[in-house]
This record gives sequence, C-alpha cells and structure tokens, in this order.
Amino acid sequence: MAHILVVDDEEEVRASLKRRLKREGYTVTTAESAADAAGTISGAAEGFDAVVTDMCMEEADSGLEVLRHALARDLFTEVIVLTAYGNVANAVESMRRGAFDYLEKNVPGVDTYEVLVMKVSQALERRRAAIRTVRRLEERASRQGAAT
Amino acid sequence: MAGPLTESVPERELRHARSPLVIRPICPIGPRPHRYNRGVPTPRCDCEGVCDGNAFLHELNALFCAAVRAGHEEAFLQRALVLAMRAVGGDRAFLALVEQSTGDLVVVNTAGLGWTPETARLRLSLVHESARGITGHVVLTAEPYRAGDVTKDPHYIEYFRDVRSEIAAPISGTSGQSVGVINVESVHYERFTDEHEHRLAAISHATAAALRVQGFRARESALIEIGNNLTTTLDIQTLMQKVLAVAADVLRFEDCTVFLLDEMTDLLVLTASGGGLAERLGEAPYKVGDGITGWVAAHGEAVRLIEPRLDPRWRGLCVEFPENEIGALLAVPIVGRNRVLGVLRVVRRKSPTAWFSPAFSEGEERVLNTIGRQLGAAVENVRSYERLISAERMAAWGELSARAAHMIGNRTFALKGDLNELNYLLSQKPCEEIRAEVVDLSASMFRGVERLEEILREFRDFVVATQITLAPCDLNAVVRETLSETFPKRSSVALSLDLDEGLPELRCDARKLKRAFGELVENAVTFQPDGGALDVRTFVLSAAERADGRLGQSREYVGIEFADAGPGIVAEHKDRVFMPFYTTRAKGMGLGLSIVKGIVEAHQGVVREVGAPGEGARFVVCLPASEVASPTAAT
Repeated sequence: MAHILVVDDEEEVRASLKRRLKREGYTVTTAESAADAAGTISGAAEGFDAVVTDMCMEEADSGLEVLRHALARDLFTEVIVLTAYGNVANAVESMRRGAFDYLEKNVPGVDTYEVLVMKVSQALERRRAAIRTVRRLEERASRQGAAT
Repeated sequence: MAGPLTESVPERELRHARSPLVIRPICPIGPRPHRYNRGVPTPRCDCEGVCDGNAFLHELNALFCAAVRAGHEEAFLQRALVLAMRAVGGDRAFLALVEQSTGDLVVVNTAGLGWTPETARLRLSLVHESARGITGHVVLTAEPYRAGDVTKDPHYIEYFRDVRSEIAAPISGTSGQSVGVINVESVHYERFTDEHEHRLAAISHATAAALRVQGFRARESALIEIGNNLTTTLDIQTLMQKVLAVAADVLRFEDCTVFLLDEMTDLLVLTASGGGLAERLGEAPYKVGDGITGWVAAHGEAVRLIEPRLDPRWRGLCVEFPENEIGALLAVPIVGRNRVLGVLRVVRRKSPTAWFSPAFSEGEERVLNTIGRQLGAAVENVRSYERLISAERMAAWGELSARAAHMIGNRTFALKGDLNELNYLLSQKPCEEIRAEVVDLSASMFRGVERLEEILREFRDFVVATQITLAPCDLNAVVRETLSETFPKRSSVALSLDLDEGLPELRCDARKLKRAFGELVENAVTFQPDGGALDVRTFVLSAAERADGRLGQSREYVGIEFADAGPGIVAEHKDRVFMPFYTTRAKGMGLGLSIVKGIVEAHQGVVREVGAPGEGARFVVCLPASEVASPTAAT
C-alpha cells in the first residue's frame, strides 16, 4: 500500500490530513517542519510514494525545501504542495521544480480534503505509470544488452 | 526693631558690608535737617552708620551686586527696604508692588516701628482716588515725593498716628511705568532732604533692576522648561497644558488659548485653554482668515492690539470672556519648519483704572513668539513621532495580515477536516456506533474555534495597543488587579509581591496596562508548568538605573518587574522576543510580547528582558512619572 508523508507545522492540520488519508487505506507518516521532513525522508527505508506538504512553515517557501529532499531521494515521489493562502508565485515555482500539483487549503465551498484525496490518487497513478515506464525501458535495455 | 530686620538679610552679606575696608561711619553726626526742628530734642540716629556717605555707597554697591546675582529674591527686597530706611534715617518703611489686574498696591515687605501681621497686610487701591495716599500718588505719577509735614499734605492718608514726615520713590518697570514703591516714614517733621531723595532713588533703581533680573530669569527658566517638555512630552494635549502653565508664569494675562490648524479642513481647532474656553475644546470656531485669530494663521504674523474689538478684523467668534471686557489681545502664530501650525492667543481684561494700560509690550510679544515657535517645534516633534510609529506599524501590518490569514486559514482547514470526518461518519455508520468519535471530533472543533478566537483577540489587541487614553492612575492597584484576574487561583507557582507605596503619580491607561502585565504574568505561569516562582515588584528608578536604561534624566520613572524561575530567555533571543510573531508556544500568533511592547511604548515607557539565561526570565517595564523630576532628583 502507498506510503505518504504529510508535512505541516500545525498539529491539528497534520492530524486531520493523516486521518483522512488513512481512511483511503494509505500508510501515513507525519513531519512538523521542513527539517523534520528531510530527516524522515533520508531515514526512511525507501522513498515515499507521495508527499503532501505545507508551503509556509519555518520559512515562507519551506515546501520547496521538502520538495527538493523528496525528489533527491526518489525522483518519482509525487509532491503535492498545500498553501494556506494563495501564494501563487511559490506554488508556480513548486510546479516548475517538479511538484505534482498545488492545492489551496481554503477555497470557499470546496471540500479540500476530497480534492486532496483525488489528487493524491492521481499522483500515485502517475508514479505507478512512471515506474512502469522506467521498468519497461530498463527491461528493454537489459534485453538489448543480452541480445548483443 | 533692628533685631528682626537684620535677620532677613543673609548674615554673609552683612559681614561683607562690614569688611575692614569700610570707612567707619562718623555717626551720629549724619546729614540731618535741623532747621525746622529747633527746640525739639535731637533724635538719636538709628541709621547704624549708613547715613555716612561712604558707608552708604558701600552698602548700595553691595545691594546692586545682590540685585544681579541669582537667588534670595525675597531676602533682596527686605534688604533693600532696610537699607532704604536706614539710609534716609526713617523710623518705618514698607515696599509695595502693583497688582495690575486689580489695580491694588500690595505691601510685600515692612521694616521699622509698629508693624503687626495685620497692618503688614496692607492693600491700597489705586482705582479709588480717595484710597491712594502718597504711595499711590507716587506709583501713578512715577515721580518721587516728599512730605515734610504730612498733616498738611493733600495726598496723605493716616495709617500710623505718629507719622510726621514721609518720603517715597517709585520702582519703575520695563516700559517706564511704576511697578511698585518704597515708602519711608519718620516720627519727626521735615526729616527728609534732597540727599535722602537721591539715596532712595538709587535704592529703588537697584530694586527695579533686581525685579527685572528676576523677571528675565523666570522667563529664561520658563523657556528652558518648555524646551525640556518638547522632547519628553509626546502627547499634544499634555504638552499644551504644560506650556500654558509655564507661559502664565512669565506673561501676565487673564486667559490663554491654543488653536491648532487642521490642514484637511483649514479650520483652527481649539486645543488648549487656560480656563475660559475649556468647555469648548475640540470645537473649530475659525476658518483660516476668519477674525483676528484666523488672520494670524493666514499671515503667520503676530497681532498685538489694545481694545481688539475695535479692529476691523475682529469677529468675536470665540472669546475667553465677554468681549466688552477684553482690554488687550496678543496672538502669535505657532510656526513649524515651513508653515503655520496654529495660533497661540493671550488676552487681558480691561484695566480697572485708566492709569494702567492692559496693553502687551513688544517684549511680551517677543516672549510669546518664542513660545509659539517652541510649541511649533514640539507639535512637529509629536507629529513626526506619530508618523514614525505609524510607519513602523504599517510595515508590521503587511506581515500581520499575511500571518493572520495563514493562521486563520490553517485553523479553518483543520476544522474543515473535522467536518469532513463528521460527515463521513454520519453517512457510513449508525449514530450509536459513532458516538465516541463524534465526541472527540466535537472537542477538536471546539479547540479549533477557541484558537481562532485567540488569534482574533491578539489581532485586535495588537492593533489597538498604541491607542491609549491617559488618566491619573495608581500603578500598584493596577498590578494587584492584574494579579487577581490573571494569576491562577491554584498554582504551583509561588507568587510574591513587593510594592513601593511611595510611587510618584502616573498618567496611564489602566486597562491597557493590565493587558500588558497580564501577558507577562501568563508567560511566567505558562513557562513554569512544574511550579516555580513569580516575584512582582514596583519601584522608583534611581538616577543610575535611568542612565543604565538610557531613559533621560529629566523625569522620574517607575519600574515594574516580573521575575520568574522558569527557563529564561537565551541572550540571542532577548531582543527578538518583543518582535511580532515570536513564539515558542502553539497558542495564538506570537503577538503577546509585541503587544506588551506596543502598550508600554505608547506610554513612552520601555520594556526589557534582563534575566540571566537559565535563572529565569526578568521583565522590567519602566514608565515615566507625570511630572518632571525635581532638579535635585535629576542630578
């Protein structure tokens, strides 16, 4: 089952996200800062399938830091960045650096948790597809290597 | 009678007068007229030597020296009077000064025979011709006067039955009018000569010089005091009232009013009053250009008038007392760096007698102009300080709103998560099965809402921290109330209280101070969850402590200390703790100590953390006392 890292400096937010994602059957680990997340990522047995991180924690762009660590560990980890109030510049920057998507925490009339669950599921799908593609390429490469 | 009189003359001065260099008097052969006293036994001369010319010159010289030296103002007048009496060989003397608002001559010093506390309280009316006497006559004519036989004198009014002859000399003021008189009487006929008249004139000149020096000195210290207030008072209202009080000390006037210009509307707003218009403060009776006051604001020039009602600019829109009673008006602009900021206006009532003009002099105009300029600098100082504060706060505002949005957003997001879970539970399972979970969710949502409210409260307190209303307040009472409201009833923290009951009077906003102190108390309690101590102390800062805190020595400061036995604050965080959004707790937004700082600074005080790290936190709030410290306390 997919292993997801939730990073947020607010305890209640971490708890809510963890509860909702667990309901979907995911394994959830939490971290309370970019530094904490970096340690968790490097200390984990294998890369996380997905990381859901807040953008603004110790620094206004802590989310970018988390993104960097996650991708350094596993290029196919999908990162979804949450913003507490629309900081589009940072969100766009995170997309440019390889995040799967970004999501505003507070959108009137939208149940962000359901949107998040949907995005996480899409992200995991993309990760699976990416890994499949890589495997195929690897297999083809090894077959070609064997043939020659 | 010689005993009590010499007492009021400083002993040192007498010693000086009798130094070995003095040519010894040749009394009792002093100058004395005998022509009219044939057959009458020669009176014993009680001049104590000064009827001798050389000795008199010596004493007169010493008197002039004393006149221009500082200090001993009251002693000086007494010394001058005693010398006058001796120098002319009189038996009784008094010195009276004119009280211009009533037109009365008031006796301020007496010497010689027969005075009792009652007779020494003599007042002569200059208004009523019948009550003026020789003394009044001298003041009004500003000429010396001699009566060889008072019983035949047209001006004489009997006050002591034994008086036979009298001599009086006016004391002249800056513009030639008399401000008082020295009067010497004798129990002998024709006691006084031309020589005596010269002597008395010399003494009255010395007295006039002393009074003038006194006046200048009072003006000087008043202007210095206003200057001092400029930098230490940052509240326009308080400053204005102080300036009015000081101005009243140096300029004689019945009322004084300050108008400040509101640049948005071009209206002159009544900002301070010496009494007559106190009820109308805040009103804006004049537009720039309206009436005399408006003219001063429009032209930036002073106006000095007698009977201002007759001036074509007069409108009578806002007057201190009925306009037919106003005798003279002096209005000067309050000038800032490059524009008029308002008008300072003083008025005098019509004089009770035609002898005294209520007119303001050119010198008085200069003094008021100086005060006007100082006031202008002060107003600009206050305004630029306010602008600076508001600029700092505006900068904080941007960050504040971003932080607030972030925190409110996060809390709301967590609440949304709880609602999401609640809906899920309700749609999936029967109510009985989810009861426990719903209770948990409800508690979590309640906490969430509480956090939101804490944020709102901090937000509001931060915004209004600098909006204070000052009133006299008992600081110790504020501390006690804060503790009874904030300190938990049952706590493992031991509270000790050491309040100095001799604190000087303070003007502050008690409600805001309670909020600030409450924050410090709450901090101390929060950071000692396993018990500890909180020592609260109030005290008056010593000069050394003021210097340590770079607090300026011109006024007293009161300190309030909150010392705990918690973890304390590490050196590199000591400055940061007062910045907005610094927090090591999950509660609120981290504005607590910046609110404390805002409130204290709005009181022109300072707050610092001075504890040694590891030995607990020690917050000291220093607030300025209302009044300027006495010179002895300041040095």
